[in-house]
Amino acid sequence: MKGIIFAFLGGAFITLQGVANARISQGIGTWQAAAVTQFTGFIAALLVLLIMRDFKWHGFKQVKPLYLSAGAYAAVVIFSNVTAIQHIGVTLTVALVIIAQLALTFLIDHFGWFGMEKKKMRLPQFIGLSLMIAGVVILKF
Amino acid sequence: MIVGLLLALLAGSLVSLQNIFNNKVNVHVGSWTTTTLVLGLGFAASFTLGLVFEGTEMFNLEHMKLWYWFSGLLGVGVVTCMVQGINRLGPTFGVSISMCAQLGFALLFDSMGWLGLEKVDFTFKQLVGVLVIIGGIIVFKLGGREKKKVTHEQVLMGSCEEGA
Repeated sequence: MKGIIFAFLGGAFITLQGVANARISQGIGTWQAAAVTQFTGFIAALLVLLIMRDFKWHGFKQVKPLYLSAGAYAAVVIFSNVTAIQHIGVTLTVALVIIAQLALTFLIDHFGWFGMEKKKMRLPQFIGLSLMIAGVVILKF
Repeated sequence: MIVGLLLALLAGSLVSLQNIFNNKVNVHVGSWTTTTLVLGLGFAASFTLGLVFEGTEMFNLEHMKLWYWFSGLLGVGVVTCMVQGINRLGPTFGVSISMCAQLGFALLFDSMGWLGLEKVDFTFKQLVGVLVIIGGIIVFKLGGREKKKVTHEQVLMGSCEEGA
């Protein structure tokens, strides 16, 4: 039961984050909002890191530079998410973000890209994606 | 309309890549080093792109409100809740619940017009749309996938857990 509450609250925070970013963007601009919110998060994470002394610097050498770059994508993610919320509303934005995320993750698993273990798509995944797209169509049209 | 649609799909695709890449970093350097790196790079990239597109407007924080600074801490709440949820439920069930909650709260925010959002009136059609999407997520996530070939050794080592 505790797990369900945590996962549920996690989802609530993710939506709240998107909406708060959209609100802050109205006040100071979208790139400014992305920079400010991540700056605060960065300082908080750095403090935790310093307190926990959880450094494994040598580990960086074993990671491909491409994988290290993922943090930078957040700039485009936040900008796109905020702009989408302003254009098409929160519900449709969240729905499309989830669909794209599940679809690309499954494509990557299916073909085993980026050294991921291959997992074939099966019928339930195709039915699930079709239902999600049908839901978006019902929402919008 | 089409711009918003495409940008939302772009955001979702990038989030998918981020999850995969950050996980690979996480394995080697631990979760707090990864979180710090990810947020630091995100800040650097946002600041740089802001300078490119808006120039010195980037330094104009005249309309800054105090609570804006603290909004970034929501991320700490997201990470804590998701880690706790996934540890207790496993990735498939944990992520499914989180996605359903995301949609439910999205509909709530749209209907209420909270935080200066343009209010989208709640209709029966919207409820049906969201329920159909939630149904899709459940079928997609819990519908099962091709079983991995599990070797005798893996069973003995107890290492055949389910992937995200």
